[in-house]
Amino acid sequence: MASTRDIRRRIKSVKNTRQITKAMELVSASKMKKAQQAALAGRPYANLMADMLASLSTHVGETNHPFLVQRPVKTRGILLVTTDKGLCGPLNANLFKLVMEIKTPTKFYVIGRKGMQFLTRTKRDLVADFPVHDRVPFNEVRSAAELMVKHFTEGSIDTLEVIYPRYKNTLIQEAKVRPILPLPSLKDFISSASYTGGSVRVPHADDREVLFEPDISEVLNSLLPFYVNHQIYQLVLSAKASEQSARMVAMKTAKDNATSLLSELTLKYNKARQAAITQEILEIAAASFTSS
Amino acid sequence: MLLKLDIVTPYARVYSDTIDTVVLPTKEGEVGILPGHIPLITQVQSGELRITKDGKSIAIVVGDGFAQVIGDRVSVLAQRAIEEEKIDESAVEDALKRAQDALAAAATLNPAEVEHNESIVRYSVAQLGLKRRGK
Repeated sequence: MASTRDIRRRIKSVKNTRQITKAMELVSASKMKKAQQAALAGRPYANLMADMLASLSTHVGETNHPFLVQRPVKTRGILLVTTDKGLCGPLNANLFKLVMEIKTPTKFYVIGRKGMQFLTRTKRDLVADFPVHDRVPFNEVRSAAELMVKHFTEGSIDTLEVIYPRYKNTLIQEAKVRPILPLPSLKDFISSASYTGGSVRVPHADDREVLFEPDISEVLNSLLPFYVNHQIYQLVLSAKASEQSARMVAMKTAKDNATSLLSELTLKYNKARQAAITQEILEIAAASFTSS
Repeated sequence: MLLKLDIVTPYARVYSDTIDTVVLPTKEGEVGILPGHIPLITQVQSGELRITKDGKSIAIVVGDGFAQVIGDRVSVLAQRAIEEEKIDESAVEDALKRAQDALAAAATLNPAEVEHNESIVRYSVAQLGLKRRGK
């Protein structure tokens, strides 16, 4: 049987672990709340933008805007959104599983240190990595999005996709591939745009001819890149919310494990202590018995 | 008939109310919207958006974005937006200065950042212009 001192030492170390995991749980809980709020705050904006595109789409015929042209896919362009830090359960591993399934030539762009490390380790074609802070400033995401869009229009990649952990709820995040470019057609694109949860109000009571200023192609040319940027931004926000909630859940499990381990150890410690005391009493009694 | 105006930014819904008229700052100049306006989609430029509601006038400074007028709904999609009374002059001056400094060192910036800083400058100048005229 382990000595009481050994058990005491273990109890102490488990207690420390529990304290740390508990603190991390609380930190990620509050960060998660912020990330969720940020993701929610962007919704009216995204909905309105989808709404505008809907009214645009009813007025543009088939244009040959580069975003709308389907090209034979030679090289896929994938933005992998991962976390900077670990300790967030299977979140990154699930994303990497999706990456491993890709066998066709692909160029990778990455957000988050973990993804960068993974891609260099597996020797994939990593074009660029972008640091994005927890608060997710629009500009940091935008530079990533714009680089990809530039490569897309130049033709070095033929698709623009995002692999990210989709935030379903606090307990469930699923790794997802989300195609962004090329847009299959404006109409499909609009129906997919309602992903934020809001309904897209496509039918307008007003069927008069819409006036575009300066003109329709100019509006389309600036609205589409803007929309793509914003969509990627929303995905990154969702990924951040996933990261925080995954970490919170992982830390909660760790904390619970530590607690149950602790109660086991305490029981063991008490038993050992009691055994030692009984032993001592027996010895004393035996000694006094023989001497009398 | 009244107009329904919504101003949303990526971070919040800044304004949502029924109003009488609104003047939008667009790339092509200011556009006044009255009830019954023909459907319109336009690009908004940083500047002052003026609302008349019950004879009173409200000013909101908006950043770059888009606006849509469909029926009696006016929706403004802007990068930034702030109401007149919420403008903090010193904070705006600081932001303006930071953006201008960044632009002065523009050689090291990428085009996206230059554009971003230029839009901050326009936005800040519009805010200051509104605030100082009121005095």
